[in-house]
Amino acid sequence: MNEPATSACSKTRNPFTGVEANAVGVRVDAISKKYDGVTVLKNVTFDVQPGEIFVMMGPSGSGKSVLLRQISGLEYPTSGTVTVDGMDPCLEETRYRVRIGLVFQAGALFNSLSVYDNLALYPREHRSGGEASIREKVMHALRILSLEDAARKFPSELSGGMKKRVSIARSLVMEPQLMLYDEPTSELDPVMSATISEIIATLKNEYSVTSLVVTHDRALALTIANRVGILMAGRLVTLGTADDLRSSTDPRIVDFLNPKIDIEHPRFKKLEAQEKDTS
Amino acid sequence: MNTAQQTARVGLFFLLGVALVWVTFETLSNGKIFAPKSHTIVARFDDLRQLKAGDDVLMAGVKVGSVLKTQLAGHRGEAVLQIDSNIDIASDATATVAMSGLIGGNYVSIGMGTAGLPPLMDGAEIRTVESPDLNTIMAQLGGLGKELQSSLGSFSSAFNGDPKTGGGIMQKLDKLVTENTARINATMENLQQITDKINRGDGTIGRLLNDPKLHDELLATVDEIKSAASQAKELVANAQAVIAQVKSGQGALGTLVYDKKAADDIKASIADLRTVSDKIARGEGTLGKLISDDALYNSAQITLKKADRALDGLNDSGPITAVGIVANALF
Amino acid sequence: MKRIVSILEGVGSVVQLLVKSVSYAPTLPRQWARFVEQCYLIGYTTMPIVSILSFFIGTVLALEAGYSMEGFGAKEYIGSLVGLSMARELGPMMTSVLLAGRVGSAITAELASMTVYQEVDALTVMNIPAARMLVLPRLAAILVMMPVLTVIANIVGWFGGAVVARYVSFVGISSESYFAALRHYTKFKDVIYGMEKAEVFGFVVVLVCCNIGLSTRGGPREIGAAVTRGVVVSLILILVLDYFVTKVLM
Ligand SMILES: Nc1ncnc2c1ncn2[C@@H]1O[C@H](COP(=O)(O)OP(=O)(O)OP(=O)(O)O)[C@@H](O)[C@H]1O
Ligand SMILES: [Mg+2]
Repeated sequence: MNEPATSACSKTRNPFTGVEANAVGVRVDAISKKYDGVTVLKNVTFDVQPGEIFVMMGPSGSGKSVLLRQISGLEYPTSGTVTVDGMDPCLEETRYRVRIGLVFQAGALFNSLSVYDNLALYPREHRSGGEASIREKVMHALRILSLEDAARKFPSELSGGMKKRVSIARSLVMEPQLMLYDEPTSELDPVMSATISEIIATLKNEYSVTSLVVTHDRALALTIANRVGILMAGRLVTLGTADDLRSSTDPRIVDFLNPKIDIEHPRFKKLEAQEKDTS
Repeated sequence: MNTAQQTARVGLFFLLGVALVWVTFETLSNGKIFAPKSHTIVARFDDLRQLKAGDDVLMAGVKVGSVLKTQLAGHRGEAVLQIDSNIDIASDATATVAMSGLIGGNYVSIGMGTAGLPPLMDGAEIRTVESPDLNTIMAQLGGLGKELQSSLGSFSSAFNGDPKTGGGIMQKLDKLVTENTARINATMENLQQITDKINRGDGTIGRLLNDPKLHDELLATVDEIKSAASQAKELVANAQAVIAQVKSGQGALGTLVYDKKAADDIKASIADLRTVSDKIARGEGTLGKLISDDALYNSAQITLKKADRALDGLNDSGPITAVGIVANALF
Repeated sequence: MKRIVSILEGVGSVVQLLVKSVSYAPTLPRQWARFVEQCYLIGYTTMPIVSILSFFIGTVLALEAGYSMEGFGAKEYIGSLVGLSMARELGPMMTSVLLAGRVGSAITAELASMTVYQEVDALTVMNIPAARMLVLPRLAAILVMMPVLTVIANIVGWFGGAVVARYVSFVGISSESYFAALRHYTKFKDVIYGMEKAEVFGFVVVLVCCNIGLSTRGGPREIGAAVTRGVVVSLILILVLDYFVTKVLM
């Protein structure tokens, strides 16, 4: 595979503090989150060890993206605490100490900037190196994700999968200590999904980057994960290694991991009946 | 568009802005920024009126500076005047607070002073003259209006009668006519008889026509009648002229603002009038002729009507009209 | 009650945003390119409409003044009326109103869409505060551009008045006497006064629109609502502030 993005700058020191960057851990302690009276997360507790790859799975709408917002410091949980490397992620000084990369589910690219500028924004704003070294770094990240040709394009000219890749590349350029991925492979072909898995694994192995991956992709989860959690309706229902999960007998988990495709399911019958009614 | 072009446009735009500010400044302030060399002089007045910072300082109507600030200095008001540096003010020049209009602002007017005297230095105090306040003028005008009214009142009472002195001209005329009806009638009868006699061709007519003495006497009487009539006409004309002046306002009032001579004049003519009417009352000399003159009566009546109207007008609007007239004169 | 609370919330967040943005002022030299871009958008591209509008405001002023002053023979004062009202009130006011409509709406829309599509969140995670990257350059740009726009509005408006004064038959006073009256009664300090006003209005419009944009919550539909709110609030603030600023500066 391609070299990972950060190979150009081995295990670097934090450009802001000058301290050697070491892997950071995350603690999520009994957090709940309510939106207008609707409880989205209910008493979720787990931790991510430094340098670990933690995969969070769960059905759509179970609260995975909301969980990532709490961990990345975008919102405060209604109750409970989140700490990243022992600090409150919402505080600005935490952000100066710990570089957190977040790959948004929808990409969240800067629409007014070209792909190149999207990637170059972080190093420019934080003055990590001259334009030449920034350029090298950015082009490297683009190459890893096969995006060289898109450097001059604007987000509106990209396909869904390309946006996702640009978003990942943008986070890589940050040389993060903690990576949070929200569905990194949801819009990608199998080859590109494999590349993403390799990137996550390389970051962990060579740079001890801690990763928290939210995904529906069972293959991805079971191959790269050190530990897997399953979130259902805002509650963490299991927590264990990939093997634990595979051998689990909990019907909810078995059903979630091995969905039976049943086109004779009664709900489709109902739909057909409705169609007949209307016609 | 590339960034360089954008930067260039912003730069151009900004420079345009600066240039326009500059142009505005140059046009509106005559470029004082490079010539801030102005000097200040101090003018103390008992009353600064509504003079305020920023008001003009004029010399012969030309702006030579502005009021920098106004402040109290002991028991007087002090205006600090900023005078353009190229203007020299003679040390005996005087400053007055003047009005630029009845409702307009005030300005400081500086006299020329004597040429050749050394100019006032920076910070020097200029001599000042207090100018009459508009309010004072207004108060004087109010008093004037009253005076005018009272004198016109006596004027009208001369015409219309004052019960204490036995009535005005008209009443007196009336009285005379009534009192002498018998005699007038008798005279008329006599005349009739004479005419009849003449008509009849009696000897008397020959005698009358042939007697030069009698003839002369008759002529003299006619002359006397004539002169009395013209005298009366002149008097009425005089009264008319006074009234006309009062009505037009300007001349008489203009004078009245500064002295009371005109009012005295009016009083004097009223006194004349009274003398005449008294004479008439006493039945002096020209009585018969006066009564027989219709034209005099008519013109006297017309004049009275006019005077009445003028008086009415003055009564109605009183001082306001006076102020109006003065205001007209001021603008 | 809820309304009052939300108004107070708005005021509070505006003040917070202001303090934050100002505290990033030292980073302005580094953001020079962004500053220039905002100057371009706020100043350069707004100039044509400002010119057109103030020209016609000047003409209407002169026309109305000519019409009403003709009655008592004060037509010579048209210049002073147009000059003063343009410089002290209508120049800054109309420029700010246009700014609210043209720039305020654009700012709100841009920041609201960045918020709704999580771009602002992405910036936050990258430790690039929105106040520094998005708000500060705009505030700096408006401070620099507003006087330029105002002086253009003034001068164009004055010329508009001069054209009417000269060529409309029932007004018909010469340009010389128009400008003589204008120059006699309009002082440079009136122009400066107008610019101070304009600075306040422009700054507030940009700040408030930034804040409304950044506090948008919900989906794309809210972008439209935010733009409407931004413009309406800006206009109200301009008018309300006009009174107070006028009083303070008097
Ligand atoms: N800002 C918000 N306001 C109100 N409700 C919200 C908000 N964000 C999320 N929710 C609700 O929280 C629940 C969880 O949403 P979330 O986006 O975390 O789901 P998810 O697990 O990421 O689903 P998916 O796999 O489809 O991305 C949903 O029911 C959603 O309606
Ligand atoms: Mg999600």
